[in-house]
Amino acid sequence: MIGEEALPRLKEINSKYQMFRAMTDDKDIGDSKFLFSAKDNLTSMDMETCSGSKILEGYHPVFDATPIANMRKAGGKLIGKTNMDEFGFGTFSTNSAFGIPRNPFDTNRSCGGSSGGSACAAAVIEDHVSIGVSTGGSVACPASFCGTYGIVPTYGRVSRYGLIDYGNSLDKPGLLSVDPKKLREYLPVISGKDPHDATSMCQPDLDLNSDRIKSVAVPKQALEGVSDDVTKAFNDALEILKGSGIDIEYVDMPELKYAMPAYYILATSEASTNLARYVGMRYGRQDGDMSKRFDDYFTEVRTGGFGVEAKRRILLGTYTRMEGFRDRYYAKALQVRLGVIEAYKKVFANHDAVLTPTMPFTSPKFSDIDKMTPVQNYQADFLTVPTNLSGTPHLNCPCGYDADGMPVGMQFVTDHWKENLLVNMAEDWDRMFEVRRAEVSL
Amino acid sequence: MDKETVVRVARTAHLALTDEEIERFSADLGEILDWFKVLDEAPGHEGVGVNPTPVSDVMRDDEPSQEYSQPELLKDMKTYDQYVRGPKLA
Repeated sequence: MIGEEALPRLKEINSKYQMFRAMTDDKDIGDSKFLFSAKDNLTSMDMETCSGSKILEGYHPVFDATPIANMRKAGGKLIGKTNMDEFGFGTFSTNSAFGIPRNPFDTNRSCGGSSGGSACAAAVIEDHVSIGVSTGGSVACPASFCGTYGIVPTYGRVSRYGLIDYGNSLDKPGLLSVDPKKLREYLPVISGKDPHDATSMCQPDLDLNSDRIKSVAVPKQALEGVSDDVTKAFNDALEILKGSGIDIEYVDMPELKYAMPAYYILATSEASTNLARYVGMRYGRQDGDMSKRFDDYFTEVRTGGFGVEAKRRILLGTYTRMEGFRDRYYAKALQVRLGVIEAYKKVFANHDAVLTPTMPFTSPKFSDIDKMTPVQNYQADFLTVPTNLSGTPHLNCPCGYDADGMPVGMQFVTDHWKENLLVNMAEDWDRMFEVRRAEVSL
Repeated sequence: MDKETVVRVARTAHLALTDEEIERFSADLGEILDWFKVLDEAPGHEGVGVNPTPVSDVMRDDEPSQEYSQPELLKDMKTYDQYVRGPKLA
């Protein structure tokens, strides 16, 4: 089996790339059939689970998240829990309380986020598949920055049981790998109805038949504000797709401009309620002074346990749900989500997929990320957020490299439940385009 | 967002902020809310998009069951006589 040689060297690999928050001490694969890793916001019985946050330090779950349990049942060995932005709050995995994963193409640059550690593991370890989670782009973005394939199925396709919630109506487990065949192999493993998650129970069967994308729509709005390097790689990719017989049409999707604010309102509103459970009781840090009054105790634990971005999003989400502001922000965002879904459906009436670059730029250096304001940070997600808001499945394919050799990605979006088109596209694209592997030296 | 509002929201969310943080979040959140103003011109919708995909009634039969043992669930918690310990209520 390929990949098992990585096991004895995991600590060595991790000391360079910092993709893992926790990892196995096992040196051999035992009876397992394959190795996989999982983002640290999925609960695992044998490894501490912190979701990138200090407030969950010491949390040892009593059950496996369903996607992890299903991978184990299929013969998989979980080798590590991957570093991530705290609770998924970020685009560069720099908002982690534990370790910031390093891009395998240039360790001075970000892996993207928030599933940055998963993308890094997928890019560095041979024959590997990693489970990521996307709320607003957290699989496609790191897949793009690290030059891997990354698929996010329809909202509800994969159970969220055991997923530490960021935004319940947005969170979607997905897969990252440099080998597109692994998407076909393992998507059926993690998918399916799960009585523990009601939102997984209405899905039609996953049928990875031979249907293919024959026509794609490229929204003109998605090409504004994209760097020259990314634009060139994307246009070159369009020519390859045209050459393969796929029709390309440029379309108008003006509704996309509303997706970003609607997403951030819904995501932070849901996050602020989800994070209300972290009060220093039952799990995670419980080191506060219990002789204090409960309000003071909760405030002490939360103030010390949450990082800056978590606090910013809690404040924002609390505000947008408050009396007097709820209709303007939260209720309006719920309406806008339906408008964005309808805009996609209108395009899907004539096209099989919507295609855009995945990120507006290639992976930035950590020194440049430090200079970004929160709004600049959030706006980096403008291409990945609309599909996540609408719960539609999407796929990142590596499609080029900039002047520094950093990967560029393109993102296919299909209608709800049509993951089959994406899995076939990934395999077809892999035959049309030579995906580069990062040179990994230890 | 003015500083008084930041303080009020933080208190609701059980967060204690330093003066520096109040200053910083006031500026950050003000910039973010300005950016949200584009939503005012977005068309409304008759529906409410709580979930992006359809949901149906999937309630199971109400049969008592316990998937995890009580000692296992309590193993990492601060407990007193099998009760979860918490701070003072008054």
